[in-house]
Amino acid sequence: MMGQGRFNISIRDMAIGFTNHGKDPFILRKGINFSAYHGEMVALIGSNGIGKSTLLRSLIGFQDFFEGDFTVNGKSIKTITGQERAKLISFVSTDIVKVANMTVFDLVAYGRFPYTNWFGKTTAEDKKIVYRAIESVGMEAFADQPVTRISDGERQRTMIARALAQDTPIIFLDEPTAFLDVSNKYEIFHLLQVLAKENGKTIVLSTHDLNIALREVDKFWIMLEEETYEGSPEDTVLNGNFEKLFSNSHIGFDHYEGEYFFKKEFREKVKITGEGIPLNWTLRAFNRLGYQIVMDVTPDFYVHVTGSGNDISWQLEKKGEKKEFDSIYGMLLYLQG
Amino acid sequence: MNKSNGKYKNKSFFFLLLLGIAAVVFFVLDLLLGSVAVPLSKVFVAFTGSSPDDPLVAIISDFRLPKALTAVITGAALSVSGLQMQTVFRNPLAGPYVLGISAGASLGVAFFVMGFSSVFAFGVFSSTGAWSLALVAWLGAFMVMLLVLYVSTKVDDIMTILILGILFTSATAAIVSILQYFSNESMLKAFIIWTMGSLGSVTKSQLAVLVPAVVLGIFLAFMKMKELNAFLLGENYARSLGVHLVRSRLVIFLSTSLLAGTITAFCGPIGFIGIAVPHIARIIFRTANHAILLPAVILIGSVLMLFSDIVSQLPGMQTTLPVNSVTALVGIPVIVWMIIKNKRFSSV
Repeated sequence: MMGQGRFNISIRDMAIGFTNHGKDPFILRKGINFSAYHGEMVALIGSNGIGKSTLLRSLIGFQDFFEGDFTVNGKSIKTITGQERAKLISFVSTDIVKVANMTVFDLVAYGRFPYTNWFGKTTAEDKKIVYRAIESVGMEAFADQPVTRISDGERQRTMIARALAQDTPIIFLDEPTAFLDVSNKYEIFHLLQVLAKENGKTIVLSTHDLNIALREVDKFWIMLEEETYEGSPEDTVLNGNFEKLFSNSHIGFDHYEGEYFFKKEFREKVKITGEGIPLNWTLRAFNRLGYQIVMDVTPDFYVHVTGSGNDISWQLEKKGEKKEFDSIYGMLLYLQG
Repeated sequence: MNKSNGKYKNKSFFFLLLLGIAAVVFFVLDLLLGSVAVPLSKVFVAFTGSSPDDPLVAIISDFRLPKALTAVITGAALSVSGLQMQTVFRNPLAGPYVLGISAGASLGVAFFVMGFSSVFAFGVFSSTGAWSLALVAWLGAFMVMLLVLYVSTKVDDIMTILILGILFTSATAAIVSILQYFSNESMLKAFIIWTMGSLGSVTKSQLAVLVPAVVLGIFLAFMKMKELNAFLLGENYARSLGVHLVRSRLVIFLSTSLLAGTITAFCGPIGFIGIAVPHIARIIFRTANHAILLPAVILIGSVLMLFSDIVSQLPGMQTTLPVNSVTALVGIPVIVWMIIKNKRFSSV
C-alpha cells in the first residue's frame, strides 16, 4: 500500500471539549478521524463554532482531548514533553503580535527558541536558518522593520516564517487568511502549498476561504455536527460531503463551477443572449438578483448584449417595449423600478 | 542586517557602560552629600576601616553607606519586578505591586502598628521595632504571595490572575481602612509614615537579609530571561515554543514577590520606580530582549533611586523628604520629557 512508512499524522476517534472543574468534561465533538502525510497541505473546514480551533488547540497541546489519540509516525502525542512537541509542531495562531521594539528578524528568530540555551543566544547557524525562513516568505526587505509597522499580510508572512524557523515537520495554522485581502489570501495559500511541497512539511490550516482552498490544498478535513470526512477537495465534491457544509442553509454549491451561491426565491424569467465576457457578467448580475435564467421556456423579458470593452450596450425587451442601456447598473435600476 | 544587529549590540553595551558609570558616580555623590557634606577622603577612610572615631567616617559607614546600598538594591529590585510583571501580563501599566504584594505588606504593618503595637508601647521605630516591622510586612506580603501563587497554578488565564491581584489589593486596603478608623492619631501617623517609604531606616544588619533576598530574586529573573522573552508573544505562542506556562510563571511570581515583598517590608511601599523604569529602559535601548532589558532596568533603577535619595536629603538642610514623593517628583518629569521626545509611550 502506498504511504506505508511515510511520515504521517493521524487523529483517531478523538473527542474534544473542555475540562469542567473536576466534573465530567464538556464534550464539544467526538469521533473525529483525520490523517495526513508529509508534503501535504490540508484545509480544516467547517462552520463557525463546530470546533476547528478547539481541535487545533487540542492537537498542539494547549488543551486536553478526552478520547482517542493523535499520533505522529505512530507515536502518541501524549507521550512527549512540551519541549519535544515544540520541535515537532509549530503553530500560527490568530493572536496578533505587536510588541514594541521588536523587528521582523527578532520575531522570526523566536522560532529558534526550542533549540537555544537558557540564555536564548542564537548561534550563526540559528541566524542562517532565520534568514532562510524570512527569504522563503519573501520578507527580506522587511527584516529590520519593527513588527508594529508592517501590514496584516506582512505580519502573517512573518508569523509563517517564525513557524518555518522552528524547523518542525508539522505546521498548524488557525485561520491564517482571516484578516487578509483577496490577493494576500491567494498568496498565503500559494506560499503554504510551496512550503509543503518543497520542504516536505505537513501543513494543516483552518479556513473559511473555501473557493481558494478548493483550488490550492491537497486534502480537506471536513468537520460536521455528527461526523467528519476527509479526502481530496475533488473527492469531497464528487461524493457530496463538501456540500454537507451548506446543508440547512441558504447556500448552494455549484458542482460544475466549484462555487457556492445563495439559494434565492426566483423572480421573473429572463432569456439572455450575447457572447464572451460581457455575456458572462450579465448572467452573473441577473443571477445575483435572483432572476431565473432560461433558455427554452418563454421568458418574462429578453436581454441582448453587444459590443466589448468600453463599448457595450444592453437591449432590454419587455412586454413589447424595447429599451437600450449603457450599463448593467442602469438596466437593473430600470427593471426594479 | 548582520551588521546592523552587531551595531545594536554595541550601542546597547555602550549605554549599559554609561549607566554603570552613572550609577557609580551617583553612589559616591549619595555618600558625600546630605545635611553634612563629607569630603571624598573620608569615604576612602570609611571603606578601609581605619580611624573609626571620626564622626564623619561614622556617618558614612553607619548611615550613608547602608542607605546608598539600600537605594541601589531598592531601585534594582523594584525595576526588575516591574519589568517582569509588565512582560508576563503584557500590560504597560503593570508594576511590582499588581499581585497585591504591597497591599499584603501594608496589611501586616497595619495590624502590627495599629493592632498590637500598644503592647510594645514605643517600640515600633526602635531598632528591635524596625525588625519586627519588617517581619510583619514580609509576613503580610508572603501570605498574599502564597495566595497568588496558589491561584496561578489553578487558573490558566493570565487576566484572571491580574483581576484577582486587584481584588486582593482592594480587600486588604479595606481591612487597612477599618484598622485606621479604629486607631488613635499617633498610631495612624506611624502607619502613614511607613507608607511614605524610607531608605534611611535600614540598618547594616538588615542589609544582611535584604541583599541576599534581592540577589536571589534577580538571579531567578535572569534564569527566566528566555521565557520572559517568549511571554511577549502571548501565552499561546510561548506554549507552542515549549514554555511550561505554570512552572515559568511560578518562578517569575516568586522572584517578583521576593523582590517587591522584601523591599516593601524594609523600606515601605515605594511607588513609581517599578512601573516607570522598564519604560525608560525600552525607550533608551529600543529592544524587547530581556537579555538587555534586565541589566538595563537594574542600572536605571539604581541611578534613579540614588538620585532620588540625594534630592530627598536636601543637601545642606537638616531634614529629609519622604522618598516616595521624591521618586515621583523626580521621575515623572523624566518620563514626560521622554514621551514628548518620542511622541508616544512605549507599549510592552
